[in-house]
Order: sequence, then structure tokens, then C-alpha cells
Amino acid sequence: MPTVAANPPSTRGTTPAKADDSRTLFRRWQRDRDAGAREALVRQYAPLARGLARRYGRSSEPFEDLVQVASLGLLKALDRYDVDRGHPFASFAVPTILGEMRRYFRDSGWAVHVPRGAQERALKVRDAQERLSNERGRAPTVNQLAEYLEFDIEEVVDALQAIQAYDTLSLDAPRPRADGELVAYGDTVGHDDERYELVELDATVTAVLGHIQPRERDILRMRFVEDLTQTEIAERVGISQMQVSRLLRRTLEQLRTLAHAS
Amino acid sequence: MPESPNVRLNLPNRPENVLVVRQALTGLAGVLKLDAIDTNDLNTAVTEACNNVVMHAYGGEEGPLEVDVYVLASAIAVVVRDHGVGLRVPAGASEIAGAGMGLAVIGALAGRVEFARPADGGTEVRMEFALPRGVTLEPVGEDGECGGPGGPVTTELSSTVEVRLAPSPLARAILPRVLSALAARAHFSMDRISDVQLVADVLAANADQSFDGSHLAVGVTIAPRNLELRIGPLQAGRGESLMVAAADGLAPVIDRLADAKRVAPTGSGETLELRLVDQRGA
Repeated sequence: MPTVAANPPSTRGTTPAKADDSRTLFRRWQRDRDAGAREALVRQYAPLARGLARRYGRSSEPFEDLVQVASLGLLKALDRYDVDRGHPFASFAVPTILGEMRRYFRDSGWAVHVPRGAQERALKVRDAQERLSNERGRAPTVNQLAEYLEFDIEEVVDALQAIQAYDTLSLDAPRPRADGELVAYGDTVGHDDERYELVELDATVTAVLGHIQPRERDILRMRFVEDLTQTEIAERVGISQMQVSRLLRRTLEQLRTLAHAS
Repeated sequence: MPESPNVRLNLPNRPENVLVVRQALTGLAGVLKLDAIDTNDLNTAVTEACNNVVMHAYGGEEGPLEVDVYVLASAIAVVVRDHGVGLRVPAGASEIAGAGMGLAVIGALAGRVEFARPADGGTEVRMEFALPRGVTLEPVGEDGECGGPGGPVTTELSSTVEVRLAPSPLARAILPRVLSALAARAHFSMDRISDVQLVADVLAANADQSFDGSHLAVGVTIAPRNLELRIGPLQAGRGESLMVAAADGLAPVIDRLADAKRVAPTGSGETLELRLVDQRGA
């Protein structure tokens, strides 16, 4: 914790030890309503408020808003702290400031906005991935995406999971290809592909397959029989790799459920 | 005292492993239907405890960071443990800085906190967070009962991470997240990370039927573009069936997606060893 950077103008030229200094400042603010003392305390403890905003609000944006809320919490703590009880100010201020941020999250509907923010990031990750895949001819890594989007690694990893949950997003909509043509599923996957249908399947598997959509069946075949990468499949089918991933996970889950039931 | 935690993570105390812990917690929070604020509280407090182990427990050396999660009747208990000098609570400090700040944050966010120094050294921080009503996951114990070390401590370190999960919806939510985070660290492309998720789904989905005893244990060693998994101990014969699991030969996920696989006998059971490599775009 940095000490007061410089003696505020009203400190009468003395520089006592820091704790005593703080105690004096608290008395001057709480008893005498000395605004200069309060200002000095705010300056002294601003890094505490900022540090707590950073620790508690990693997925909150804009960050400066949260710093404002934390600073408000700091002001409340300056008012309520009982200097004579002998506890260090910070141990009193930390819960007060965190409480203020928590209340702000609750009142501002943050709990609703956070998933939305995550959803927006997931879409950005999806789009960036397609752009980078097209440019470089191969799927990017998480680090490359994080660097490109100026996200942290954790935000990209979260996006990988988040995209799985967004059934309602227009992930299924036709997507423009690299040449700008809009393609819908069906244009890219020829009907001749039906002949590919896994020949050596037994009756149970055929029955199970009957429950799977043709497109999902095609995607399974491309990944597990033709050994195409998810990016290659995405290109063929005209959807994003993340959606291929989502469809594969969902279809395999469906197959597991069906297999257990039969 | 509950026999063993729902989730145990044993990781080298590197800063990047805190992300793995956070991914596991986020998966857990999803299953337990915590809202964004409670999830943030849980994540923030546990992150502080982990950061303490990363920064202070081993005096700059590497050592194990252990995180146990117990789902109790109306609370989640998280125990963060190290085997080093552990948390240094600044004695008589007039200001909160460094570790002291972390402790203050934990104190403010967890419903209940205890610090313990187990006989074998190190430090344990036990935190409890209230669960919302109506969560249906079967608890492993009563509130206030989060235990001490629930099993043998793995001392082998290097880049190996160990995940132990009780078979439950938790495994399905947590294992894919943990393995994707590790694959991301191993510089896998998004394609290959998605494959890792598919493998994790198979392992988690079969946890209840295939595994010896009450938990799924996965050891993960990462190197650039390389992920090695050791799953076990399994009952004899289960390794083979796991490899082709998922819909009877239609999509034998592990068999097709892993670059190398081997079933190795261990004691009375066996271990399934898998290697996933990201070969493309080298």
C-alpha cells in the first residue's frame, strides 16, 4: 500500500508515522469535517478501491464504472470507520467496498448483463475464428484469438463453452462464404452423399440413426469417417466451426441417450 | 465428514493453473444454478486463495495446489490446500497488502472461512458459500463438514494436473471445461480443442458405469501441441469399451480422435492412456 504521496496542504508541516498520520486524518475528517483530510485519505486508499474493483469485477465492463462504485464504497467506509477500535482501516474497508460493488451488480441488473456480455464475446470469438481461419488457412489457437480480439485467454475459453449453450442464437442461419456468396445448408452438401451412408451398420445403429437429422448425420460422417477437421466441415456445410462443434457435441449426446435407451 | 470431495484438482502452483480452477468452478456454478453474482463471489474468493498458494506457499519454488470442492446440503465448500509455508497472515500488520488483502476478500465473500494448518504441514483455507434453494445434486455431506485431505496426496509434479470427479452431472460440466482450458494452454487449435471436448464428454458420460470405485480420475500432462490423458483406475476390460463408446461403432469418439491409445494394467484394474496431438498447422 503506497503511503500518502505528498503531505496535503493542510498537514501543518509535520510528517508523523503513517498509522498516526492516518489516525489524525480520520479524526480531522470525522470530527472536524475537514475536506482536505478526507481528500488525503481518499488518495491514500484509492489503490485499495481500484485493486478490489479489478479483483471482483474481472468480467465487468466498463471497468471505470466499477472503479467509481468501489470509490463510493471507500467514501462510505471513511465515514463509518471507528478509528478508536484499533482495527486497521483496510480490514473494515474491504467488506464495505465489496458490499457496495455487490449491491451495484444486483441493482443494475449486472447478473443479466453478464451472460449477455459473454454471449457477445462468444459471437466475436466465432467471427474472429472464421476470419483467421480464412486468412491463414488453418484454425487459430486460443492465444491467437485472444491476441487478435484483445481478450484475455479466459474470455476465449469461456466463449468455447458459452457457444454450446446458445441454441436460440441465429447460429443456424446461412452464412456468407469467403467469396461473399450466401449459402444455405443443402447447397453445399450434395444429395449424392447419401450413398456414402455407412454401409456396414447393423440394424440397431440404423434405427438410432433414424432419429438424427440428415445434416447432423452428415457432419458425424465427415468427422468420424472421412476424418475432415471441424474447420473443413464448417466450410463444406456453410456454418461456423463453433457450430460444427456444438452440433457434434449435441448429436453425440443424443446418440448416447438413444444407445442407453435401446 | 464426507469421504471424498465431489471434485478434486491437484495442480502445480503456476499462475496459469488458476484459470483451470476457475473453469472448474464456473462449470460447477452452472450445474448448481448459481446466479452471476454468486458465481463471481465464489470465483473471486477461490481465486484469491489460489493466488496465495501460487505466490507465497513455496517461496518461489513449485509445489502442489490442491482444490477440493464438496457439495453439501445447503452450501458449497471449497478447500484450497498447499504443502508449503502456506498463507502468511501478516502479523500485527496495520495495513492490508498482498496476502492480507486476499484474506480480507475471502472473508468478505465467503459465508464462512476457516484456516487450518494440517499436521503434515502447509495450510488449508476452507470456505463455504450458500447454495440457492432447490438444487437437486445429491450432497456428499452435511454443512460444515468439509474434510481434511480426502485421499493420498499426489506429490509427482511437473506439468501434470490431476482431476478427480465423483460421477454426477458435475463431471459433465467440469471435465470438458478443465480439459479445454488445458488444451488451450497446450496451444491446440480451436478444431482440436473441440475434439478434446468430445473426448471429455465421453469420459464424463461414462464415469458412472465404467470406473472403479466412486470417482473418475484423469491425469493430464501437457506439452506444446500435446495432451496426454491417463484415465483410471478402470475395471478390467473397461478401457477397450470406453474407446469405442458412443453409439455402437457409429462414432467411436476416442478411437477416432486420439492419436495414440493404450490400455495399461494397473494393480487389479487398468488405465486408459490417450495422447491427443494437434498436428495441423504446425
